Amino acid sequence: MPWAKGEDFGDLKQRFKNLNIVELDTETSLHIDKENLIPLLEAVKEKGFKLFLDHSVVDLKDVFEKDKDYRAVAKANLLAFPEDKLSRYQAFYILYNVEERKRVIVKTRTDGKLPTIEKLWFAGKWAEREAYDMFGIEYEGHENLARAFMWETYPYYPLRKDFPLEGFPEQDLPSLNDVILGDKLEGTMNYNPKHTIVPTLEDLEITEKRRLKKKAQIVLNWGPLHPGTHGTMWFLFDLEGERIVQTDVILGQLHRGVEKLAEHEQYNQFLVYTDRMDYLSALCSNQAWVVAVERLLGIHQLVPEKAKYIRTMMSELQRINSHLLWLGTYALDLGALTIFLYAFKEREKIMDILEGITGARLTISYPRVGGVRMDLPEGALEVIKAFIDRFPRELGDWERILSRNRIWLRRNKGVGHISREDAYFYGLTGPVIRGSGIAYDIRKVEPYDAYPEVEFDIPVGEVGDCYDRYLVRVEEMKQSIGIIRQCVEKLEKMPKDAPFMMESPDKKIKITLDGLGLKVPAGDIYSSGENPRGELGFYIMSVGAFKPYRVKIRPPSYYNLSIYPHLMKDRVIADAVTVLASIDPVVGETDR
Amino acid sequence: MESVIAGLIIAVIKILVILGVVLGVGAYLTLVERKVAAHIQRRPGPMVVGWHGLLQPLADGLKLMTKEDLFPRYGNRVLYNLALIMALVPATLVFAVIPFGPEFELFGYKIKPILTDVNVGLLLVFGLGSLAVYAIALAGWASNSKYPLIGSMRKAGIIVSYEVAITFAVMGPLILAGTLSTYNIVEAQIEQKLWYVWLQPVAFVVFMFSLLAETGRVPFDIQEAEAELVTGFTVEYGGMKFGLFPLVEWYVEVLSLSAIAVVLFLGGWSPINIPFIGFIDPLFFLGPLSPFVWFILKVTALFLFILWLHWTLPRYRIDQITEIAWKVMLPLALFNLVFTAIIAPVVWR
Repeated sequence: MPWAKGEDFGDLKQRFKNLNIVELDTETSLHIDKENLIPLLEAVKEKGFKLFLDHSVVDLKDVFEKDKDYRAVAKANLLAFPEDKLSRYQAFYILYNVEERKRVIVKTRTDGKLPTIEKLWFAGKWAEREAYDMFGIEYEGHENLARAFMWETYPYYPLRKDFPLEGFPEQDLPSLNDVILGDKLEGTMNYNPKHTIVPTLEDLEITEKRRLKKKAQIVLNWGPLHPGTHGTMWFLFDLEGERIVQTDVILGQLHRGVEKLAEHEQYNQFLVYTDRMDYLSALCSNQAWVVAVERLLGIHQLVPEKAKYIRTMMSELQRINSHLLWLGTYALDLGALTIFLYAFKEREKIMDILEGITGARLTISYPRVGGVRMDLPEGALEVIKAFIDRFPRELGDWERILSRNRIWLRRNKGVGHISREDAYFYGLTGPVIRGSGIAYDIRKVEPYDAYPEVEFDIPVGEVGDCYDRYLVRVEEMKQSIGIIRQCVEKLEKMPKDAPFMMESPDKKIKITLDGLGLKVPAGDIYSSGENPRGELGFYIMSVGAFKPYRVKIRPPSYYNLSIYPHLMKDRVIADAVTVLASIDPVVGETDR
Repeated sequence: MESVIAGLIIAVIKILVILGVVLGVGAYLTLVERKVAAHIQRRPGPMVVGWHGLLQPLADGLKLMTKEDLFPRYGNRVLYNLALIMALVPATLVFAVIPFGPEFELFGYKIKPILTDVNVGLLLVFGLGSLAVYAIALAGWASNSKYPLIGSMRKAGIIVSYEVAITFAVMGPLILAGTLSTYNIVEAQIEQKLWYVWLQPVAFVVFMFSLLAETGRVPFDIQEAEAELVTGFTVEYGGMKFGLFPLVEWYVEVLSLSAIAVVLFLGGWSPINIPFIGFIDPLFFLGPLSPFVWFILKVTALFLFILWLHWTLPRYRIDQITEIAWKVMLPLALFNLVFTAIIAPVVWR
């Protein structure tokens, strides 16, 4: 486990009187009061914990109201200063030390106000906007405390525990039948026309006005519906000629409140929502969630080997699938139309393989807590073997078209340059941070499933420009092929009737295929998996019920996107597509 | 009197033939392009309308004709429509000075297969070529929208840069031929038993680059740039008005400039050339038709070459394109011109 040890912070203990260092099985956390938060974070950053992973808030209202929950949580030592019942929120900051491969959580308590960490980590600025949007936490000193996803005039804070899952019905939203025909539906069709409020055009205008100060003559609306944004992102470019002076991002077009849903679903039921976050790499997200729950239960060692290998193999297939879509659209954005169709043709084959094995193409939900849903069908391994024998040749062809192409080089080299320090400052992960030469890969740092047993390399870039990120992703596909080959060899040797689902280890933990009735003891964990886009982390806090108390998802695309305005400064519009595609965000994940 | 009437009739027939051929071929080149692109991308392309999609251009035209004619609310209607005319007319007029074959005799009349053999033919070509910038600038401006404006400014920048390069590039062949008339340039090449591409390879390369840039083909298609500008200056056009711009830019202009390239560098209607020795005509069995077939073959080869580039390469950025024009192409063309101007009078003739 990559968590820091208590003794790493021994010297801090003397500096900060109120500092509690807590070592649990699942994590190491530093508990500090609000006043000393910023000095502590500075000190921790100086110790080498430079990479910002995540920050958010837990609303403890329900915990304090239910005595049983409170006792369970206090016993599990999840709260900073549990005796302080007046402060409603607990904030946490997850940081990572790349050199020494250690992770730490800093927890603090607040009643609604926090100091901003935007000077320490820019990514924190975006995380704070999200926490402000969802919980109404006021950040003192924040430059642009605008709502991250909801529109500016939205009156509620949806992730607070007193906001119901279905929202407050207060606006009449008649059906189309009503409007056109005046038709009052009856019987089962006669639903309640009251709806939660929806934004009007004026609301969107106010949201747009809340942006940063306009700095140039022309404001170009790039999105929300624009082919170059790969989804429904809304960028505002302040243009001086074709030069971009300032970039602003307005997110939330695809916001569905996945974190709120997670609090109202059982652990297994939430699995299907992980499909819909990063819809291009559903299997990887599934795997990350399942592994997080298994780790929280402490059963991740007991998962059958076959299930581990299947999961690993499948998520590597998904990684190639996702990178192929990236390669296709990236080339398309740079004008190389043909590569797009080549990549999609190969992608289609992977989709067919996935469909043959799992029955689904896009939203897959194949892994389960404790294994996988079903065994591999007959002949699946042969099909996969045929694919991985053929695919490297195809990839080589495309590389011959692109990698040494002069135009390709001129469009990519020196564009979107990210330095190492910037990578930490903006909380980047995945191929984006590896392109800057930092070998940060969860599959090596905190290996899960069969990753410790397979051999592969982590490709890293040298310079950190778009070209390096392109090379890193292409090389990653080749490494994935290697991993799949090893998994196939291993799976072929396994007996046909080897279990693909674990048995319940004891009476307390109920592991079934449908996962219903799975009760997780009180505890919290931050566990992450390596998605094609970066580190997908889940912070899960459980109070010992069937449903998680709070799930914070660390979306890799969201933080990777936070560097985009910085990269776009003084570049031209043509570079906007290059840089955005090389960061490769997926809107389903940034907005959740 | 009789000869004047005959001349008029011949001219009208020529105009009709050229217009029909150019616009008809232009429409069918969309099918050629789609088929070529499809086979480069390992797919069959249009297969449904007609045998192997042969009626596809008609179906496309019908679809575009029946579409709603949209007009941006704050646009300028006069300029908006003028842009269409400014795009179509100069591009088609270029064909007036393109010689398709040698002079022949029909019913006792001598006919040159060229509409007007003016003695400043090439000047006319480049004059008309420069007019193309008006169409695009007007289209971008009259739409009163940001994306078309950016697209048209990009295109205007390219045309201004490459008009200079292309003009200097054609100077070389002009010095060698000693005339501006397109018909006479071909005659000169046949007389001297030499395609000028053998003596002017640099000029040919510069010409081809400029051709790609002026017609907005990959790798210079930044005014379209569907990923960033969503087809640039045509964003606000709909229906057939939208269809007209690519038709003119990608097909009619490419055809006319390819034909000019054939006339200037590849010996027009002459068959395969062995420098200074003579011509070999494997198509001799076609008799008097052979020169026309050779001309069409050469233009087709150039067109396919351009398509091949289009569906293989990525695209440049605007600053890189203008950089190439001013820093590489123009010095090359100038050097070539000076070199030719010094050497040619000494060793030529």
